[in-house]
Amino acid sequence: MRELLRYRDLIRVLVERDLKVRYRRSAFGFLWTMLQPLLMMLVFTMVFASIFGSDRPGYWIYALAGILFWNFFSQSIVASMNSLRGNAQLLQKLPVPKVVFPLATVISGVINLALALIPLFAILLLTGHRPGWAILFLPVAILLAALFTLGAGLLLSPLAVFFSDVVELIGVLLTLLMYLTPVIYPYEIVPENVRWIVRFNPLRSILEIFRDPIYLQKVPPMTHIAVSAGIAIVALAIGIWAFRKSSDRIPFYV
Amino acid sequence: MPHSSGSDLRIRLDGVSLCYRLAKQRIPSLKDYAIHMMKGALSYEKLWALRDVSFSVRDGETVGIIGRNGAGKSTLLKVISGVLKPTEGKREVRGLVVPILELGTGFDHELTGVENIYLNALLLGRKRKEIDEALERIIEFSGLGDFVRAPIRNYSTGMVARLGFAIATAWLPDVLILDEVLAVGDAAFTRRCEERIAEFHAAGTTILLVSHSEAAIKKSCGRCLWLDAGRLRADGPTEKVLAAYSGDTTGTEPAGREGGQLHPEELPHG
Repeated sequence: MRELLRYRDLIRVLVERDLKVRYRRSAFGFLWTMLQPLLMMLVFTMVFASIFGSDRPGYWIYALAGILFWNFFSQSIVASMNSLRGNAQLLQKLPVPKVVFPLATVISGVINLALALIPLFAILLLTGHRPGWAILFLPVAILLAALFTLGAGLLLSPLAVFFSDVVELIGVLLTLLMYLTPVIYPYEIVPENVRWIVRFNPLRSILEIFRDPIYLQKVPPMTHIAVSAGIAIVALAIGIWAFRKSSDRIPFYV
Repeated sequence: MPHSSGSDLRIRLDGVSLCYRLAKQRIPSLKDYAIHMMKGALSYEKLWALRDVSFSVRDGETVGIIGRNGAGKSTLLKVISGVLKPTEGKREVRGLVVPILELGTGFDHELTGVENIYLNALLLGRKRKEIDEALERIIEFSGLGDFVRAPIRNYSTGMVARLGFAIATAWLPDVLILDEVLAVGDAAFTRRCEERIAEFHAAGTTILLVSHSEAAIKKSCGRCLWLDAGRLRADGPTEKVLAAYSGDTTGTEPAGREGGQLHPEELPHG
């Protein structure tokens, strides 16, 4: 922990570098990151509006908030797995605390998510959906999402060093996980007999407390917040434990 | 960091052994790993790169390390630097260690020289403010001039080496670790590096130096360690150790290995 404080300037520079690479390419770099969820939203609204019926006003807000959350989660996971592999040569030559790499990745993921929320709220305002006070709860939800994601990233990034196919494997599992999480479909449409899978999916709890302030415009119930916080902390604890156990062996493999 | 009971010891290794675990078959993927595990065919070969190495270095000493290729010199430096954790034994190092195992480690070739100065010095554990203050000095020593504003990918090998050395030695470390890095530059660069190392020595930095050049070791090291197949074969005044080393004809094969022939592609990189 004290070591991390010493390296906080390094973490900042790694985050800046991530963001620069992402947004420097073109003046539209920032717009591009928003375009993908916007296009997806357009498709989903057109396709699913007919499936889920017209009795769900603002369904597109539900879907768009879900997609932004999902992008943050999946991109951060993949990027943190690549962060250790990408710095392979360095980890064999310098005694840098290895945790700075996945940590910096998740931090830049959070910043990307925050930036992507700006156009979301712009569209909400333009379409007459004025966000309520509940959005002040969003930072708490994002923090919990970040802790959960960091935990998963810490668990998976050493594995990606030890085995070259883990990144692809996780890519497949992420797709599966997306369908098990009500990112774009409403929770209620899940058939009763398989609903428990979705219900006990830990990612869903965190997604819901993120989406409540945007879609329902209210602060999620205290019980939901508590459950999400518990999940996030457990995930982080597992991640830290696994990372500590395996990080000494990383320089032998990269 | 645990201090060694008030003495002036900088580095203390106590029975350090380091084992590279090599899979007998290369198992690069989780799929193969699972298959091998189910077959019960998961076997490893142990390559002991260091075996029971013990020595200590006092504050301000300059120590040379010699030995044949594969004797464990680089591994030893990595253990002292804190990059590799010993499999057995204890490593104690007091104060700030700056390892220069390779010049230009951690450079991002898309970034400019100046941006890399920041990135690299931060990787060495510096604060942004310290780098602001040292920036001019670093650029000056590297002799890159206006090139520092250009991306590193446009640099020659020599320029990368100069910049790497300038960054790593911009601050006075407690322990400086050098792995044969001075061989890359031209004569003028090598001389400047040697001058700087001499300055550090005068200022009380403890220096460890791996080199194949007996002349270089003789010039700067009063004491010398000889590593042979992962073991410490000799430790004493440079003259004596070098004499024994050049007189040695036993030619022990690289590092003690349990098992068959070693294929180069199995070796851990670096």
